[in-house]
Amino acid sequence: MIRYMITQNVLHRPLRTFITVLAVAVEVTLVIIVVGLTSGLLSESAKRIEGVGADIMVQPPQASYLMAFSGAPMPIAIADKLAQLEYVQAVAPVLTQFNTSGIEIVYGIDKASFNAVTGGFVFHEGHDLRGLDDILVDDVYAKSKKIKLGQTLQLFNHDFHVVGIVEHGKGARLFVFLSTLQEMGGAHDKASVFFIKCDRADHTPAVTDEIKELLPRYEVRPLRDLMSLMTSSNLPGLAAFINVMIGIAVVIGFLVIFLSMYTTIIERTREIGVLKALGASKGYIVRIVLSETTLLCIGGAVAGVGLSFLMSAIFIKLFPTLTILITPLWVLRAGLIALVGGLLGAAYPAWMASRKDPVEALAYE
Amino acid sequence: MLKATRIFPSSDSLTLEGERLLEPILKTENLWKVYRQGKVEVPALRGVSIDIFPGEFVSIMGPSGCGKSTMLHVIGGLAQATSGRVLLDGNDLTTMSDSARTLLRRHKVGFVFQRFNLLPTLDAYHNITLAQHIHGNGFDPHRFQVVADLLGLSGRLNHKPSELSGGEQQRVALARAIVSEPKIVLADEPTGNLDTKSSEAVLGLLRQLNQDLGQTIVMITHNPEAAAYGHRVLHMRDGEVVDGSSVH
Repeated sequence: MIRYMITQNVLHRPLRTFITVLAVAVEVTLVIIVVGLTSGLLSESAKRIEGVGADIMVQPPQASYLMAFSGAPMPIAIADKLAQLEYVQAVAPVLTQFNTSGIEIVYGIDKASFNAVTGGFVFHEGHDLRGLDDILVDDVYAKSKKIKLGQTLQLFNHDFHVVGIVEHGKGARLFVFLSTLQEMGGAHDKASVFFIKCDRADHTPAVTDEIKELLPRYEVRPLRDLMSLMTSSNLPGLAAFINVMIGIAVVIGFLVIFLSMYTTIIERTREIGVLKALGASKGYIVRIVLSETTLLCIGGAVAGVGLSFLMSAIFIKLFPTLTILITPLWVLRAGLIALVGGLLGAAYPAWMASRKDPVEALAYE
Repeated sequence: MLKATRIFPSSDSLTLEGERLLEPILKTENLWKVYRQGKVEVPALRGVSIDIFPGEFVSIMGPSGCGKSTMLHVIGGLAQATSGRVLLDGNDLTTMSDSARTLLRRHKVGFVFQRFNLLPTLDAYHNITLAQHIHGNGFDPHRFQVVADLLGLSGRLNHKPSELSGGEQQRVALARAIVSEPKIVLADEPTGNLDTKSSEAVLGLLRQLNQDLGQTIVMITHNPEAAAYGHRVLHMRDGEVVDGSSVH
C-alpha cells in the first residue's frame, strides 16, 4: 500500500521528481568521478611503474611512491654498490622530473641499464635515443598530444627532438637521457630512483633485506606490493580531498531533498490531515515521507551511476591520458552516501508532517 | 451490548422492552472547547452534554459558527477538549494522549468531510483500502465487497478522484469511512458541496448504512432537509445544544 502510494506521489509531480532525481544523480556522479579520477591516476602510475619490469625500487628517505611528488635525489654512485649485491642482475638509475605544464613525469634514463632492467622499449616508430636532445614519447601521449616523429617538443624551456614513439607502460610517458636531465636540473650525478632487477623473482625478499642493511633509511619497495599501496586512502592529502568532495556531495543531496520534501509536505498538508483523521500514526507518516525519499534517492543513484559512466567515457575521449577507475565498491558507497544525505534531508520535513495538527491540516487550502 | 438498529432514545439511557439498559456509544459531559486567539479566549463549545446511542443516526444542526464543526472534531478525537468529558465506546478522550486518540480514531471513528478529502493521487480502490491498511488488520476482501456493492462503486474503483463526480467522490469517502467497521461515523456537512440530486443520493446511502449495517452516524448540517434524514436532530447555537427533539 505504502509502495503504491509513494509511487503515485512521485508520478503526480513529474518535474519535481525529475529535478530531485537529477540532483541526486549529480551528487552520485560527483563522488564516483572524483574518486574514479584520483584512484585512476594512482593505479595508472602504479601500473606504469610495475611495467618497468623491476623487482625492487629504491628511493631516498621519506620519498613518496608517487615519484612525481619526490624531490631530493640520491648520489648515482649508489648504483654501483647495489649492482655488487648478491642476486642483483641489473640496476637502472632514473632521474624523474615533473613536467607541470602537462602533468607528466619525464624519466631521465641510462640506456644500457634501463634496457637491462626493462627488457628494452617496443618501438612503434623511429629509433632509440642517440643525441643529447632526443626524446622518446609513448604512443598514448603521442596520440593525445598529436605528436609526430621528428617534431620538436619543448619541455622545461628546452627543445627536444622526438626520435621515437614507443609502447606505453615503462614507468613514464617521456624519456630523455639521464645526463641531459641531470644537467638541466643542476642535479649532476644524481638519481631519483634505482630500479633493480633480481636474477630470479623469488630472490626479491633477500635482495630487499640486503639493501635495507646497506641503505638503512632509504625507501626500499618490492614492486609487487606497489599496486596494493596505490589507493587513494593511502595518501593522506588525497584522502582529505576526497572526503571534502564527498562532504560537498552530501550537502547538495541534503539540501535538494530537504527542499523537495519540505515543499511536498506543505503541498500535501490536507492529505496529511486526512491520513491523521483515518488514524495514521506519526510513525506511519514518517514512514511514507522517508520511503518516498528512499525511492527518489535510489532513482538518483541509478541515474548517477549511468551518468558517471557517460561522463567517464566523455572525459577519456577528450583526455586520453586520463584513467577513471569506477569500482563496484565506490558505486555502492556513492549510492549509500546519497541515500544517507537524502534521508537526513528528509528527516525534518517528515517530522514536521507527523506533527501537523489534524484539524488545521484539514482546513488547509 | 445490544445491536440495536431502530431506536429513538430521548433520555440519557433507556430500557429496551423493559429488559436491558442501553449504554450510549458516545457521551459528552459539560464539554468545553475554548480557542485562544492572541489574548482573547473564544469559547466554541460551552458545556455540551449529549448522548448518542448505538445504531442511531443523529443530525446536529445550527448556523455557521455555532460550534458544530468543533463539536465533531472533539468527539472524533481530532481536537482536545478544554474541559468536560467525552466518552467514546467507554474511552475518555479528554484524558488521552495524542497518540492514544490517533489509535482510537483508527479503530472506532470514520470521518466523512464536506470536501470529500480523498487522496488525489490514489484511485478509488486504494482510497478505500488505505483505511484498511492504516487500520492494520490488512485487506478484508469480503468487507470491501460488501461496502463497494452497498455504495454502488464497483464500476468506478479504478478511477482517480479527479475523474469522479462529486457524488461519486463522496460515496468513495463513505466507503473509506465504514470499511474498517468503525463504532461511529462522523459526517461533516457531507452534502455541502453536492447538488440536490447527489445530496439526496448520499443522504439516502447514509440512512441505508444506518439501517442495513446498524452503523451509528452523527451528521452535521445546516440544511433542515438533510437533517431530517436522522432519527433526531440536535440544534446548536453559540456553542450550546439548545434543543434535542426527535424529528420522527
